[in-house]
Amino acid sequence: MYDKEKKLVDAYLRGTVSRRSMIKGLGAMGMTAATASVLVNASATRALAQNGFDWKKHSGQTVKLLLNKHPYADALIANLDNFKELTGMEVEYDVFPEDVYFDKVTAALSSGSSEYDAFMTGAYMTWTYGPAGWIDDLNEYIMDPAKTNPDYNWEDVLEGVRKSCAWNGRPGGALGSEDAKQWCIPLAYEQNNLTYNKNVFERAGLSVPTNIDELVETAAAAKAAMNGGYGIGVRGSRSWATIHPGFLSGYANFGQKDLNVSDDGLLSAAMNTDVSKDYHAKWVKMIQDSGAPDWSTHTWYQVGTDVGAGKSAMMFDADILGYFMNGGTAEAGNLAFAPFAANPDAAAPTPNIWIWAMSMSSFSKNKDATWYFMQWVTGPEHDLFGAREMDLVNPARSSVWADEMFRDKLAASYPGYVEMHDVSAPGASIKFTAQPLFFDLTTEWAATLQKMVAREVPVDEGLDQLAASVDAQLKDAGLG
Amino acid sequence: MRHTSTFERVLRGTAITLVILFFMFPIFWIFLMSFQTNETILRVPPSVVFQPTFSNYAALITGKLETAAGSLEINFMRNLWNSLFLSTASVAVGLLLGIPAAYAFGRLKFRGSEDIAFTLLSFRFAPPLLVLLPLTIYFQKLGLADTYFGLIWVYQLIVLPLILWIVRGYFEDIPADIEYAYRIAGHSWFATFRKVALPLAGPGIAAAGLLAFIFAWNNFIFALVLASADKQPVTVGALAFVTASGIQYGQVAAGIVLSILPTFALALYAQRYLVEGLSLGAVKG
Repeated sequence: MYDKEKKLVDAYLRGTVSRRSMIKGLGAMGMTAATASVLVNASATRALAQNGFDWKKHSGQTVKLLLNKHPYADALIANLDNFKELTGMEVEYDVFPEDVYFDKVTAALSSGSSEYDAFMTGAYMTWTYGPAGWIDDLNEYIMDPAKTNPDYNWEDVLEGVRKSCAWNGRPGGALGSEDAKQWCIPLAYEQNNLTYNKNVFERAGLSVPTNIDELVETAAAAKAAMNGGYGIGVRGSRSWATIHPGFLSGYANFGQKDLNVSDDGLLSAAMNTDVSKDYHAKWVKMIQDSGAPDWSTHTWYQVGTDVGAGKSAMMFDADILGYFMNGGTAEAGNLAFAPFAANPDAAAPTPNIWIWAMSMSSFSKNKDATWYFMQWVTGPEHDLFGAREMDLVNPARSSVWADEMFRDKLAASYPGYVEMHDVSAPGASIKFTAQPLFFDLTTEWAATLQKMVAREVPVDEGLDQLAASVDAQLKDAGLG
Repeated sequence: MRHTSTFERVLRGTAITLVILFFMFPIFWIFLMSFQTNETILRVPPSVVFQPTFSNYAALITGKLETAAGSLEINFMRNLWNSLFLSTASVAVGLLLGIPAAYAFGRLKFRGSEDIAFTLLSFRFAPPLLVLLPLTIYFQKLGLADTYFGLIWVYQLIVLPLILWIVRGYFEDIPADIEYAYRIAGHSWFATFRKVALPLAGPGIAAAGLLAFIFAWNNFIFALVLASADKQPVTVGALAFVTASGIQYGQVAAGIVLSILPTFALALYAQRYLVEGLSLGAVKG
């Protein structure tokens, strides 16, 4: 970088020049906004290089990553040159589409392949990978000052998100317990809240619902005002992914759990309590009255596409799905965001979360060098770069959420997003019980929901049947 | 000679039209979608009237995809090339190995011939995922993982049994007396195979090659597990348009149109052989 450009970027970082002036200035020097963004972070990287840590220790070494096609991976790739400059290391990567991504990860890990040193993963998946011995406990790196730079600031990662990536490997063991192993480190995460079409709400004179009863009523009123569309988008396919977003977030808000854990560590079904039955009944009625006509096929894609195309008035799903749908769609700019606590007596929302994180392969032959990459990509500098300049939303670090530039960016185009996050974040964590049958039992839960919505089984009876089946499977697996 | 009534002809015409509509409409709709933006595709209700755009094809060819979440890099043309190379090379190798083997199984009865032929066919029975994990381990040890050579080898699991069993049937349908007559005239076994058996089974070989090509083209799992991103075929590459920030329906449609073109062109070209091949051995009056 030339001196003139360097000085301009440094002045911007000191706060003496505005972002607009800096980009304008760099533009005059022949640089695009994207290049300017990377340069801004290059300056932050230079500061990082001076923190006394031996960043060049693994210079000349190469790490290979397996990445999912996702805006988080795009942010990583966009900033990679700064890492290379900081460490003198090379980084290779393979990007696979999300539909097949976890097949690729499972095949690589289960065959003991040493091709990939680190990979993107969801926290739920580490409940399989960790106990199988496919990934390393990252605590031994994080806690070792010889391996981790002094500015890493692990405690800066939001507590609920950080703990959701740690498990002791015992079925039913609490996430983030004292003896938990840190199977992955968050890149960014999604909370489940309301995204609504403010034009539809304004036209129909609707106000944002604040509990499950209001949600059911508002969805029905919105459907009546939608002229062919429907009131609320929630997922419905026969998959674990139907339970984990809005549904479980509301369910947990009533203090309900998926499984009970006895004192001797045995698991049993917990979804057929009276409170659970009442919540299920309302959820089922909401879908029957105001959900998508083809709800039972709806996944992330259909829920998001419909709210973006103006086919649904709102959705109770991942906040970042609403974030993506608020640009480049028919309803771009018309979507707004609100926190949602299903229980009228709850103090705040308790969103279940999905986390995209990085894990280290136990088969890597280059673990210390891989950790250098991992601490950089999950560190404060990259997180801030991704949040400010790319779509690394929601960042997992509290320092990034405190950054005014990032908050201003969100506030300008995503009404209610910052407030929604601030209200929800303290209660945001994974609400499932960590155990090896997670995917099987949760998929069966979704199948039961489908039967209830299709009126094949009454809610009470369906939940009793589900609980009996879950108990039997847990017993068979020696867990119950 | 039997005469068909007007009513019968109308009924037959209507039935054929309905069948064509049923099978062709999805392809026609995908073709239309490939010239639309996501916004026009997703409008309610859908319409066939729209302002056509070539942006989807341009995105695929230039490798830059503009989405709500910004600009994404895509390698669709690379995927298309991989599919073309892997399928063509696999079928070529499959024909080279499969035709002589099919001739041997069809003509020369030897001890264990049926067992060997059945064993080769049984490669088609095993679910690919079952064999892929041990294969991955072997491939890593042999240095074949993530190589085109390794993939073409694995693709033989798809194409070789298909070619072998189809072509074997054609060889068996050729009257052996023709070959005997040629041999009596003083020609070698190999010359008989080359000059008599091969030309007579030509349409059958073309049909088998075409089918094997289509099966290889549609394969998904082998390259996904055994190779890295730069060697993925179009079946994996097309999924890149399904992203967390939305499904790019226009690009998906354009991708489908581009990816069916090679097999479509090949099928059109080989149609004559296909019909001949399928009717070979039929009783003629």
